[in-house]
Amino acid sequence: MRRDIHVEAFYPHPIELVWEALTDSDALAEWLMPNDFVPKLGHKFQFRTKPAPGFDGIVDCKVIEIVKGKRLSFTWKGGPLDTLVTFNLEPLSNGTRLKLEQKGFEGIRAVLVSFILGKGWKKKILPLSLPSVLDRLAARQAARSV
Amino acid sequence: MTNRSATSSNIFQAVADPTRRAILGHLKLSDQSAGFLCAQFAISQPAVSQHLRVLLDAGLVSERRDGRRRLYKLEPAPLKEVDDWVKEYEHFWEEKLDALGDYLDRKKNKR
Repeated sequence: MRRDIHVEAFYPHPIELVWEALTDSDALAEWLMPNDFVPKLGHKFQFRTKPAPGFDGIVDCKVIEIVKGKRLSFTWKGGPLDTLVTFNLEPLSNGTRLKLEQKGFEGIRAVLVSFILGKGWKKKILPLSLPSVLDRLAARQAARSV
Repeated sequence: MTNRSATSSNIFQAVADPTRRAILGHLKLSDQSAGFLCAQFAISQPAVSQHLRVLLDAGLVSERRDGRRRLYKLEPAPLKEVDDWVKEYEHFWEEKLDALGDYLDRKKNKR
């Protein structure tokens, strides 16, 4: 079980435009969440969205690394998480590859591997159908941007 | 609702500590007394009690009396809840990177 989150995407667009979409506050508000981001090392900012159970709707962030046109890294603290989000951009002949990584799950994942995959787990667990906080956030975001 | 949100935020802190993960490891095998758990670690009894308090507050263990002993039991349901949380973040970023693609396509059409 991987400890971190890794998601990759390809965009048939020049790297400068993808970089701008990552570092312009208005652009980020359109595809990610409303924010007060500034592409400056050490800048503290927030993403804001509608609250949901277990989440007050605010993600606290700080720019940790910024390599123009290549890499953007900021801390992402929301709900119970304390993580580091990194975007890496790579120019390709026909567009841009974006790699997103979210680190900081090591402690929780270590326990989950040990317990969820261990014996006796299924017997002890009550069946839970929990609402997905982020599915709802994503759905709301999608509904608003239509 | 309130309990669940408090539990989620405490669990990450609770399992961040290796001693607390080790305590959970012992309890996974069977319920254990406070005395047994304290004997497993080189740290002081108050320190182990403090770790148990954190785990209790996070809802990861429960406590009951067995005569004069206090017994601790693993409560794994909160871990499942956090596992769901963590998985949802993968979906979240996949959706957001799709939205970024749509955003870039929209901007291109306007150029």
